[in-house]
Order: sequence, then C-alpha cells, then structure tokens
Amino acid sequence: MTRAATQPKENMGAPEPRIDGRLKVTGEAKFPSDIAVANPAYAFLITSTIAKGRIAGIDLGESITVPGVLDIFTHENIGKLNEVPFVAGGAGATTSIQQMGPDIHFDGQIVGMVVADTYEAAREAAYRAKFTYTEDKPSATFDAPGLREEDPGEVEERAKKLPQAGDAEAAIAAAPVSIDVRYGTPPQHHNPIELFTTTCVWRDGELTVYEPSQFVYGLKNNLARKLGIDADKVHVVSPFVGGGFGAKAQLSPRTGFVAAAARKLNRPVKLVVTRDQGYGVQTYRAETRHRIRLGAQPDGKITGYAHEGWELTSRPDPYSVAGVEDSARLYSFGAVKTRVTLVHADRNTPGFMRSPPVVPYVYALESAMDELAVELKMDPVELRRRNDGMVDATGKPWSSRSLMQCYDEAAKAFGWEKRNPQPGSMRDGDWLIGWGCATAVYPTHVGAAAARVRLNANGHAHVQIAAHEIGVGVNTIVAQMAAERLGLPVSAVTVETGDSNLPPSTVAGGSNQAASCCSVVLKACDAILDKLSRATTTTGSGSNGRIADLSGAFERLKVGAIEEYAEFIPAGGKPDALAQLYQGKPTLAGGSHGEKLMYALGAEFVEVRVHALTREIRVPRIVGAFAAGRIMNTRTARSQYMGAMIWGISSALHEATEIDHRNARYTNDNIAEYLIPVNADIRDVEVIFVPEKDDFVNPAGIKGIGELGNVGTAAAIANAVYHATGVRVRELPIRLEKLLV
Amino acid sequence: MNTPSKPASGTSRRTFLASTMVSTMTLTLLDRQRADAAAPPLSKDTARDPLRVTLNINGRDQQLALDVRTSLLDALREHMGLTGTKKGCDHGQCGACTVLVDGRRTLSCLTLAVMAEGRAVTTIEGLASADGTLHPMQQAFIDHDAFQCGYCTPGQILSAVACVNEGHAGSDAEIREYMSGNLCRCAAYPNIVDAVNDAKTKMQRA
Amino acid sequence: MRPFHYARAETLQNAIAAQQAQASIEAGHEASVAARAQFVAGGTNLIDLMRLDVMRPEAVTDINALERSPSGRIELGERGLWLGALVRMSAAADHPDVKRHYPMIAQSLMLAASPQIRNMASLGGNVLQRTRCSYFRDASYTECNKRNPGSGCAALEGVNRLHAILGVSDKCIATYPGDFAHALIALDAVVDIAGPSGSRTIPFAKLHKAPAESPHIETNLQPAEIITAFVVPPTPFARRSLYLKIRDRESYEFALASAAVALDMDGDTVREARIALGGVSALPWRARAAEEAIKGATLSDDVLQAVADSAYAQAKPRGENAFKVELGRRTLIRALRQAAALEI
Repeated sequence: MTRAATQPKENMGAPEPRIDGRLKVTGEAKFPSDIAVANPAYAFLITSTIAKGRIAGIDLGESITVPGVLDIFTHENIGKLNEVPFVAGGAGATTSIQQMGPDIHFDGQIVGMVVADTYEAAREAAYRAKFTYTEDKPSATFDAPGLREEDPGEVEERAKKLPQAGDAEAAIAAAPVSIDVRYGTPPQHHNPIELFTTTCVWRDGELTVYEPSQFVYGLKNNLARKLGIDADKVHVVSPFVGGGFGAKAQLSPRTGFVAAAARKLNRPVKLVVTRDQGYGVQTYRAETRHRIRLGAQPDGKITGYAHEGWELTSRPDPYSVAGVEDSARLYSFGAVKTRVTLVHADRNTPGFMRSPPVVPYVYALESAMDELAVELKMDPVELRRRNDGMVDATGKPWSSRSLMQCYDEAAKAFGWEKRNPQPGSMRDGDWLIGWGCATAVYPTHVGAAAARVRLNANGHAHVQIAAHEIGVGVNTIVAQMAAERLGLPVSAVTVETGDSNLPPSTVAGGSNQAASCCSVVLKACDAILDKLSRATTTTGSGSNGRIADLSGAFERLKVGAIEEYAEFIPAGGKPDALAQLYQGKPTLAGGSHGEKLMYALGAEFVEVRVHALTREIRVPRIVGAFAAGRIMNTRTARSQYMGAMIWGISSALHEATEIDHRNARYTNDNIAEYLIPVNADIRDVEVIFVPEKDDFVNPAGIKGIGELGNVGTAAAIANAVYHATGVRVRELPIRLEKLLV
Repeated sequence: MNTPSKPASGTSRRTFLASTMVSTMTLTLLDRQRADAAAPPLSKDTARDPLRVTLNINGRDQQLALDVRTSLLDALREHMGLTGTKKGCDHGQCGACTVLVDGRRTLSCLTLAVMAEGRAVTTIEGLASADGTLHPMQQAFIDHDAFQCGYCTPGQILSAVACVNEGHAGSDAEIREYMSGNLCRCAAYPNIVDAVNDAKTKMQRA
Repeated sequence: MRPFHYARAETLQNAIAAQQAQASIEAGHEASVAARAQFVAGGTNLIDLMRLDVMRPEAVTDINALERSPSGRIELGERGLWLGALVRMSAAADHPDVKRHYPMIAQSLMLAASPQIRNMASLGGNVLQRTRCSYFRDASYTECNKRNPGSGCAALEGVNRLHAILGVSDKCIATYPGDFAHALIALDAVVDIAGPSGSRTIPFAKLHKAPAESPHIETNLQPAEIITAFVVPPTPFARRSLYLKIRDRESYEFALASAAVALDMDGDTVREARIALGGVSALPWRARAAEEAIKGATLSDDVLQAVADSAYAQAKPRGENAFKVELGRRTLIRALRQAAALEI
C-alpha cells in the first residue's frame, strides 16, 4: 500500500494509477515539441530590450549572413495578421499587443523572429540582430509616475457588480474592535517546466499546430481568425502539456508569427521560446495591493468587511481578477463593501495564474482574519466558527459548505490544541516555531463540453474528448467515469484527449475539467446503456445499468460497436453554449454567479520554523483538509492538493518576479533566481479528504480541486511567521531580511 | 552569403598554428578533413563546418554531423529522435535534461554533444529492459504517483537512479537534498521521495 | 552562441600550446570575459555564458583528458591536501580524507549547485566561475564594466539584493558566487599554475582581483595559464571546521551569506581561527581582522559581536543588499558557535 493510494471515503473514487503513467515514466508521452515533423526549420525569437518607445532601426546585416538562415521576420515583413481581441478569461488572445512593432509596449515584446535550417544558426542570427530604439520613460509598477487608474467595472462585465451589502463603513466605525491593514503581493510567473513551444505545418492550405494548450478549441479558432482562414483548416495537437497553471490557455502573438513563417517558407517551422523570453511572451500574475478593514463584536462576529484592491495591468488591456467577488462570500459578514482599481503600467498583459482571484485576495483577507483574532484575543479557528454560515452578506445561500469540518479535522491532525498563542513562545533549540492557519476556497466551475464514447462488443471502450492533460489526471478520471458507468474495468478503457479534432471541452481553467468532462462522458455512457438496454433482457438501462451479457446484447443489436456523441450544458447555460464552444468561446458557470454559492473549501495549518539568529524560514509541516464534493480519484486528488499546498508555500516564501524600476524590465527572468521550492524545502505534507455530497453543482457532483490547495496557504504561513516571531509581514514574499529586526 | 573574416593576427598566427598542429601530435582536432599541415587559418567559417561526432546512446553508437554548438540535449531531441529527455531551461537550472554519462547524472543542456563522444550515455529510453519491463524506479514512480504533468519525470527518474547508485539515498533527508537538482513545478516532491525509498530496496536486491 | 573551434588537449602541454596559439589578450585592456580562447572542463559555467552570448570565445580547448593526469587526483601527502584542478566537485565532496580532515572543504562543495552540476564541474572551473549578477548575464545591458570596460555598472542603482558589500568599488558590486573558494582562502591554500613560461605557485588569496578600477580583469592568471591543482597545507585543527551557507531556499541556490570557519581551540579559548565570508563579497574574502579579534578569546556573546563587527566593519551596502551586513554578521556568529560546539 502506498501513501499515494489513499483509501477513498464516502463519495470518493478509487485511487486508480494514472492510465498514462507508463508513457510518462518511459519518456514516450509526447509533449507537442516532441512530435517529429518532416524537415523542420527552426525559429528563434528576438524580443525588445526596452519597455516603452519605438523601434528606430533594424540592422540585420550580420544576421542574414549567418549560414543556414532562411528568413528573418520583423514588423516590416511579417505581413498582415488579423487582430484577435484580448479577452480576460480564456476566449481570446493573451494581449491586444500583437504586433512586432514599431511601437513597443513592454519589455520582452516580440520584435522579430529568425528562421533557419538549424536551431544554432537561428539563435546566432537572433543575437546578431541590431535593433535600436527611441525610448520613453516607462511606468514600471505601483507608485511609478505616469500610471493610469481605472475602475474595471467600466470596462468589464465581470467586474461590474462587485459584492456590496449593508453599510460596512458605518458598521466598522461603530465596531468595538476593528482593524485597518494593508497587504501587498508581488508579480509571479507560472514557470511550468515545459517551455512555450509552437510548431506549425501547412499542407494543402491546412495547418497543423503542435503547441501545449489548455484550450485547443480556443487556439484553433483564434489562430484561424488571426490568419484569416477557416477554423476548419486549423488542427491543434497537444496530447500532453508539461504544466499549464493558466499560462497555456490562450492565443499568444508568437503562434501567428510561426504560422505565417511556415506558410511563407512552405516548410514546417518549430519554435521553442527560451525560459527568459517566456516572461514576456506569455502572461503572469500581476502585483496587487489591498486595504482591508474589519469591524467586529467582542464575541468575534464581524459586522463589517471592507476590501479595496489594486491590481496592475498593461497599458491597453483591462485584465483584473477582482477576487473580492469570492472573498466577500467567505464568511457571513454583517456588511460588505468592496472595490477594485486597475492600475495600467508599461508591462505585458497579465493573465490567469493558478487560482487567479483568490490567491492574492484571500491571502489578504485570511491575514486580516488572523490579525483580528489577535485583537480579539481569540483562537483563529474560533473566529472562523463565529462567522461561519450558510448564507453570505448579500443573502445568497451556499449549495454546500463544510468549512468548519475542514478546520476541525485539520486542527486535530495538526495538534492545534497544543498551541500557545503567545508569539515567540514555541521553540526547538535554535529554531522559533510558529503555527498558523487559514481558509482555502475556490469557486466551482463547470463548462459546456462534448464527448464521443465507443463501446466495442469485446468490452473495450474508447473515449474521445478535447480535454487537456496538464498533469491533473483528466485522462484517468475520464476513464474511471466511463468504466464505472459502463461497468468495465478501467484497464478496458482508452482515452484520447488534447486534439481539436475531438469533441470540444472548455478551457482547462477554473478547475472545471473534472466536472465538465465527467458530466458529458457520463451522458454519453448513459446513451450507450440506453441503446444496450433495448437489446438486453437483464437489468439496467440508464444509470448504473450493468450489462451482464455484453456480447449477447451486441449480437441482438447486430452491430459491431455502439458509439454515442453527447453534449453537456451546465445548468443555467445558454442553449447555444456548444455552438459557441465549437467556435472557441468557452462559458464557465459557477462560483458566486448562480442562484447558489458554489465553492470548494478547505483549511490549512502550517508549522514554520525561523532560525533564531539567521532567520531563514522553513515549513517542515503542513496539513490541509479539503471538502470538494465528489472526488473521482483519491490518488490524483491527493497529488493535486499536495502540489497546490507546495505552490502556496512557494507563493509565501519564494516567488517574486523582480523589476528594474528604471526601465520596467524583468531581471530574474530565469528559473534559478526566480525561486520555486526544491525537493529539500518540502517535508511533511498531509492531505485530509473531508467527505461532501453536493448534487446541485453539476450532475457529477464534482467541485474542482486543482486550484483549491494553493489558496490561503500564504496567509497561513504569514500567520505562522507572526506566531513564531511577533513580526507581521504584510508584503509577500516573506524573506528573511524582513525578520532581521 | 559568406563573408570570410580575417584572423586576428594574420600570417604569423597561421604559421604558428600550423606548426603547432604538426609538432604536437596528441593535440586532436576533430574535423579530420581540415587537419593537415598546410591548412588555411581557422576562420569563423571553418568554425561553422559540421563536426563528425559519434555518440553512444543507450548502448548504440550513432554517427552524426553536428554544429559544434549543438548540445547533447538537442542532439538527442532534434537529431536522434530521442525526445524523452526534456528541455526546461537550457541553462542548467532545472534538471529536466538529466541523463547519465558513464553512469553519472549530468545535465545534457550544458554538455556539448562533441564532449560526450567516447562516453556511454543513458537516456530515459534506455532504462527499461529490452522486453519492456520497467526499471524499479520507473515502476515506483507510477506506484507512488511521483509525477503529474510528467515533463520533469524522465530527468527525475534518471537522477533518482543515480542518486541511489551514488549512495545518497540513505534517508528521507538525504534523498530530498540529493534530488534537489530536479525542479518539479507540479510539486510531486513528497511522492518522489516515497518512490525513491521504494525503488532503492528493489534496486539493491537486483 | 557564436561559432568556435573546438579542440581536445590530451596533455597539459597541449592545452597550454593550444591556448597560446589562439590567445591574444592584452593584459589589462581586454576584458577577461572576452578572451578569445577558453578552456572547458565541465562546461557548467562556460557553456551557460556562451549560450547567453556573454562569452564568445573563438577557440575552446577541452581539457577533460587532464583528469587522467595528477590534476585529476586527490591526495593527502606531505604538502597537505592535493586537490587536482580537474577533480570533479562531487568526487572531492565525497572523498573520505577531505570529509575527515577538512570538513569545511567537503561542505563547501556539497552545499554548492546540484548533484548533476557537481558531477560535471571541475574544482578549477568552480573556483574561476563568474558572477551571477543579472546585469552581467544579460548582454542587452551595455552598462557593465566587466563586459564593456568603462561603460558603467547597471547594478549600482538597480535590482541588487544579491550583490556584494565587501571588496566592492563604485565600478562593480557583483558578488563572487562560489563556496569552495572560501574554504581554500580560509585554509591558506596555494594554487599551482602551469603556463607558457613554466610553473608557478601562488597563495590562493592572490588568485582573484578585487574589481577596483578594472572589474573586467578578474584574476591574476596570465594568458594561456592553467590551474593544475590546489594544495591545502596540513592544518590539524581544520578538523574543527565547517561551511555555513544561508539561503532563501534549502538547496540549489547561491549563498545570501556564508561563513567558512576553522577553530583551533584550547578548552574554551580560541587559539586561532580561519575565517572566510561568502555570498557577500566581490572576490573570495578572508576575514583577517576578525581572525585577529578572536585570537585568545572565549566565545562569549560580546566577543562574537565584536568579531562580527570587525568582519563587516568595511562593508559598503547599497540599495537592497543592506540586509547582508546584519545577515553576514549573524551568519559568522552562528558558524563560530557551531564550530566551537563540534564534537571532535
């Protein structure tokens, strides 16, 4: 028995090993840049070294003479490519800045692309290219001169109606206990280990694109738009993705350039963006600031919650996450006042990065909750209990809510009752010990999807759905759903995903895949069972029908196989949701936007150790308990939770993209100085599954979990650091110099 | 269009170099086609001539004609169709490109292909038995779910095999430290440690 | 990466001759990073910098065959500990004699880089590694006195949390990032060098140059010279030594601050000490004033503070690296306490 094979509890599926495991451990799993194409030419990007200004001159004299160079593309000769609208949320392009110049809008903007017979020649020619610029003074980040503030509600539907309830100002002013605190989070980059790659192959006017993608239908349709061709002529192939985390979800400018180059040269073109180029070529989590005010009664009841957030974005694009939408629901506050301000700077456009709205906003709220608990001289878990409830401040009810079960189970496993609340009171030799906790929360999303399932007479089933195996285990849980529904062993099911020739599913974002894909696969399987049931004399049609005599049923039907195509639209979804999806427009429903609040919840407890003298911060122990409705597979779910909690540790202690304020350029654009945890940073990570049943959220009863575990962790750690040292760090990351006092 | 460039110190350098090449017989230049006494100066253009490189990968010798700048990683991936080894950073910062060279774990991105000549290179493709039986480390990675997206996994597995063979897998703490040269963004670290602990007992039995 | 000529040297003489044939450094003028001929052993620094287009040698001589020469050996003998320059870091880190007699050296190696890099990298290459300054490593910044002598230093007013506070000048504040060098400088190692004019031996402390007015010249090596070995003199009390490395994450990261410490103790009194400070200096840094301050003392809190003060008295912090003064002091104090408490 391995730790990975966690025993399922009620409403949880078996810990099946990943069906693609063998492929991954043998190196046979093909990531898009692994797929061989005939006679590729190699591309290498040239990116701008200023953040704001204009290209003054391009001298390619030395570049074009590098042997093997086939062509060099700049704004002067890339040709016309259509603009694909920027859409914050998966449907469109990552940014409206899609040209190679001459205007420069951010450091790292693609200004050129060399294509050559060899990678080495392309790279050399790129380095020899001489671009000169006229440079303007850029606004790099918060507090820089020249920023522009904007209310996102004026430009974005999503942000129009942020939660408001009652008179929070008055409540806070009248509250016997109140706090008024500010927090800040840095820019962070996804940094999946797989780089951003694009390979384009044209044949007879049809384009095949090999690119790691979290939304193959979005990429297909948007790329077609960019190139001005029919979407049916674009085929996206992305069988495995080496980590997405939000970075591979939308069309980025590079893809159109590679496609155009391949078309012009009439030869496949392969691009592997370098790690440092990736910082500007794709998106990132922008820096945020927060002001939180909480007013409470002496018994802990919070009468007023006011949360103002500031988020950085690029000059032209109003990208915001507006996480108050979710944080305002978290407790039964008496009154709520929220506001978000967008701050436009000379940077690349941000995009969603694992748990986009809640990582920064719940970090702030959960830190504030801890500060309030200290003011109230109250145990932080009890403070949550006082404010727990099934209805939020606006009167909206939860479809299910198991927050305190999570707190109680995690607290017990952690040993929380042994905590001495006095900061600096716990110590082990030279190490100060701190214990902290925080809430984890993530909206439950479900999207439209389609799938095809074929059942053969020999009892083998094949599932086809353009889902995205980014490491979450979707291949496996789709196989489990089909196996369970059709009464087959998992080993008799094969799954095909990651290809735009398959029936579409929504962008792998918002942790919707399990719910959406399982819901539609369930439907397709039920349709098969329905057909079979008309031929069988034994029990079963519809759900849970097990066909005892499969081959007999097939004989009676006189068919070799039964294949069913099914479509699924979530409750409240528009009737044309699938038609939209085929065109690359996803719709995700859920979270706070329906008649009930749909969220997965958890509670995380961490132990930090701070060296008494040199102040390194280490996290030897973390316990997370999570309730997320139906769990399809406790093996993959446990890994998701663990991985996410480690992301949370990383977010608290390690990750920050550094910016030179003089020129708005990223300086640690690599994976050595941009710190993520190494194996030695992580010790005990315990995952507790709290059973929960919720039939409201979607037919499969699944709440997504991929983005749950890394929410709140940063606050738990900040709270623990306070407990260890008495120092309250309100700006992430928590670095040792902040404790060298 | 090739424009020959002048060597830095002209004729004197050329004659000195030519005489050096003739007199020191143990100095080997790889491109045998240009290694004769009356060779023209080593210009930028001759630096571009492809080198004939013989690489021993998973027990098989293969002859390639490569740009001298080609990394072992790119030689495997782009010239030999062995895409199991992955590029994560190309600067020796992530470990995804880890292969074994003469049994020692090595970063193939910082190894020039030409510098791997004469050595036995093992990639992930060479780990399982000829009959398809997985190496105990590969099986342990599956059993303990020691991966999610799978991209860093080939590098992790080879690194783990070498870690055990080096004698650096004695305790959890040692495994964690000695596996820290392989980044995993999905953060499968605890399961990786479990897998190494499991596989090492089976490797020692074998 | 620019094209280059690759050649393998089978012997030391070949290596020197090959380098000499290509080299054209005018000492003092051309930046050492711009040298037209380079040696390559592990390649973990050179290939990295070539791929960044920071280094563009025209000729690279592969000296890995020298691993079969005395430069590939570790030996404990009369001169002390012989560490051949072509020995790999991992071999030295795991060597029983090194671990037993010079734990500071073993730890400085074992705590560096990653297992893969340690398998590849030679001791000589590790000592000669170049700074990690992000402005140095980004060829698009023209303002870098190491790459373009006289052009200025972009780090002075830039992102400089990781930059140096000791041994710096207003021309360059780049940190020397190595660990092993600090064990060598602490223990009075010498460097055996071979070159066109023959062999010579210099104290390790004379190998590197402070940036001063010419950050582009990093060492006192002459064109075509090659380090063949490091020799650490017999230092019995080096058994009471350690290398303490403080960093943001637990491993695979350069030092924020480090201390290489060896103590010769008579009961509770320190007869003498060897101290070197890493992660905070522009070149390998021996803390001689601190060694004086600790001589004959017992390690009370006051004494430790005074020793730390003298070690960092000349520190010149700048911008975001100011915390390194306090961190450096505490790192030294912690290292001294730990060294004193070792059970020998």
